Amino acid sequence: MITLQSVSKLYVSGRGHIQALSEISFTAEEGQGIILVGRSGSGKTTLLNCIGTLEIPDSGAIFYNGTDICRLSLRRRTLFRRREMGFVFQAANLLPWLTVAENLQFPLELNGIRGKAQRGRIEELLGTFGLAGYEKALPVELSGGESQRIAFARAIAHAPAILLADEPTASLDTSTGKQLVELMITLCRTKGTTLFIATHDLELLAMADRVVTLKDGKMEQRT
Amino acid sequence: MPYRLFLLKKRICKALNKGPPIYSTMRFTFLFKIASLTLWRSWRASVVLLFMVISAVAALVFLSALAVGTNDAMIRNSTGLFSGQIAGTGIQELETHRLQIPGVKQVLIRRQLEILLGNGESLESLVLMGVDPAQEKAATAYWQKTVAGTYPATGEETIFISQDTAKRLKLAIGDTVNLLNLKGFPLKKLAVAGIFKTGISHLDQGLAFCPTQALPTGETALSVAVFLQADTPVESIVTQYRQILPLASVSAWTDFMPDLKQLIDLDSVCMAIVITLVFAIVSVGISCTFLIFTLKNLREHGIMKAMGLLPGDTALLLVTQIGLLTVFAAAIGTLAGFLTVAIFSRTGIDISAFTSHNQYFSVSGILYPRLTGLALLTPPLVAILFGMAATIWPTIYIIRKNPADILRSV
Repeated sequence: MITLQSVSKLYVSGRGHIQALSEISFTAEEGQGIILVGRSGSGKTTLLNCIGTLEIPDSGAIFYNGTDICRLSLRRRTLFRRREMGFVFQAANLLPWLTVAENLQFPLELNGIRGKAQRGRIEELLGTFGLAGYEKALPVELSGGESQRIAFARAIAHAPAILLADEPTASLDTSTGKQLVELMITLCRTKGTTLFIATHDLELLAMADRVVTLKDGKMEQRT
Repeated sequence: MPYRLFLLKKRICKALNKGPPIYSTMRFTFLFKIASLTLWRSWRASVVLLFMVISAVAALVFLSALAVGTNDAMIRNSTGLFSGQIAGTGIQELETHRLQIPGVKQVLIRRQLEILLGNGESLESLVLMGVDPAQEKAATAYWQKTVAGTYPATGEETIFISQDTAKRLKLAIGDTVNLLNLKGFPLKKLAVAGIFKTGISHLDQGLAFCPTQALPTGETALSVAVFLQADTPVESIVTQYRQILPLASVSAWTDFMPDLKQLIDLDSVCMAIVITLVFAIVSVGISCTFLIFTLKNLREHGIMKAMGLLPGDTALLLVTQIGLLTVFAAAIGTLAGFLTVAIFSRTGIDISAFTSHNQYFSVSGILYPRLTGLALLTPPLVAILFGMAATIWPTIYIIRKNPADILRSV
C-alpha cells in the first residue's frame, strides 16, 4: 500500500514560481492500476517522480509499507528504488549499448539475482512478452512497440512493488499502446504490483482501477 | 541468488515491515561489461580519446628515450675523448692489472711529466702524457681530433701537440721541439708528428702526447683511464676499485665532470616537467572529451540512477570506462613508442649540424635513443594517473545530477 499525504512541490525557475503539485493525497492498494491524466504541465510526471523518490516533495509525505520514503537518506532512497520500483519512460529508454538480454540483466544484477536464476528470469520475461529470440538484438534494431515491451519487461524483472510508467504509449500507435497498457495492468494485477501510468490518452482510462485527474498540480477528481 | 529466494526475501521484509530491504552490491564484472560495451559501441568517441592518449604516450616514450640517448651521447663524448669513465691516480704500475675486472672494457695507463716545451726563444709549460698509441687509438677519440699530421705511433720519437701550442711556439709538422725540465735544462728533442684541436679549452691548453718510450727520463706520475662496457654502472666499479686498491685515488666521471653531471640532472628535471605538462594538458583534453562523451550518454546515466545505481557504482563505472581506455591506450602508445625507439636506436639521429661547437658532443653528434625502465614506464603510468584524475570532473557532474532533472532535461 502506498499513501500520499498532502504532497506539494514548488519549482523555482527563471519564469517564477510554479506550483507543480498542491496538496495531493490518496492511497493506492497493492495490485491496483492507477492512471494519472491531465494536460501537459499538470504535474503528472512530477507526481510520478515523487512517488518514485526521484524527487522529494517540499511538503507532505509518501508512505510505503509504513515508512515515509521522502525522509530516507539519498542512499536508502536509491536502494529503495532499486528493489521496490520499476520505471517505464516515455521513449523506451533502453540502454543503447546493451543488448535486449543485457538490458533485462541490469535490474537483476542490481538486485543480486545472478547466474542460472538470472538467465531463467530473462528467458521467462522474453517469453511472456513474445520476444524470445531477441536476446542479442540491440535497442536500435527494435521497433517502437518491441522497445516499449522490453522496457516494461525490464521494469518488472525484479518484481517491484510499484511500477511507474510515464506516457508509455506516447511513441506508439493507438492499438499497440492499448495492448501494452492492457498487458501492464494484467501483469501487475497478477503479481500484486501497484501500477501508476501517466498519460494523455483518454482511451486508456477504461482499463484503470482508478483514475486521478490533475490540473495545475491539483487533484481534480478521483474515480 | 535464485529468483524465488529473492521474492521470498522481499515478502519477508515486507511482512516484517522492515522498510527498504537488503542491499546487494553491483558486481564489478557487470560494471566492467557495461563500461567496455559503452566504449565499444560508442567507438567514434572512444577512438578520439584513444588517439589522444596513444599519441601522447608514444611521443613521450620516444622523447624520454631520446633524453636518455642525449645524456648517453654527452657522457660517451665527454668520457670517450680522453678521460674514460673512471680516472685513477696513486696506483703502482704493478697493481694496474688488478683494475681489469668484469664490466671494464679497457684500462689505459698513462705517465705524465710536467715539462717546458721550447722552440727558439719561445717556451711553453705543459703536461706531457706518455701513452700507448695503439691502445689509445682503440679506446679514445683523441686521435680523431688531429687537424694536421698524424697521431704518434709506437716506437716513434714524436710528439702530438695542440693547435694553440703549435701557434704559440710557431711549430709545424716535422719540426723538432725541445723538451726542458721545469728548471730549464734540456732533456731531449722530439719531432712534431701531429697537431690536434678538440675545442675543449682544458684539453687544448697545456697538454701534449708522446709514446711512453719517448718520454724523457725523470720522475713521472702514473694515471689510469678506465673505459667501461655499455650499461655497466660506474658507481659499482668505483666501489670495487676502492676495495681492491684502498690507497689509490679513484673517481668516477660524475666527480671529475660535475658540470656534465649537473647538465644531465637538469635534463632529467626538464624531462619530468615536460612529461607532467604534456599530460596535464592531455588530461584536460581527456576530461573535456570524456565529459562530452558522458554528456552524450547523460540520459542513460539518468536511467541507471533512476533504476537504483548508487553514486559509488556510477563513479566506479566512469572510472572503469576511462581506466579501460587509458590502460589500453597507454599500452598501445608504449608499444608505438618502443617500436619508434627500436628503429631510431639502430639508425641513430644525426644532430651534428647543431653540435659542432658543443664540448659535450666533441666526438660524435649522433644520438641513439635508449629506453630505460623509467623512460618506458613513466609516460604510460603518468597517462593512467592523469586519465584517472580526468574522471573526477565528469563523475562529480553525473553524481550530483538528480535523475529526475536528467530525464527532464535530455
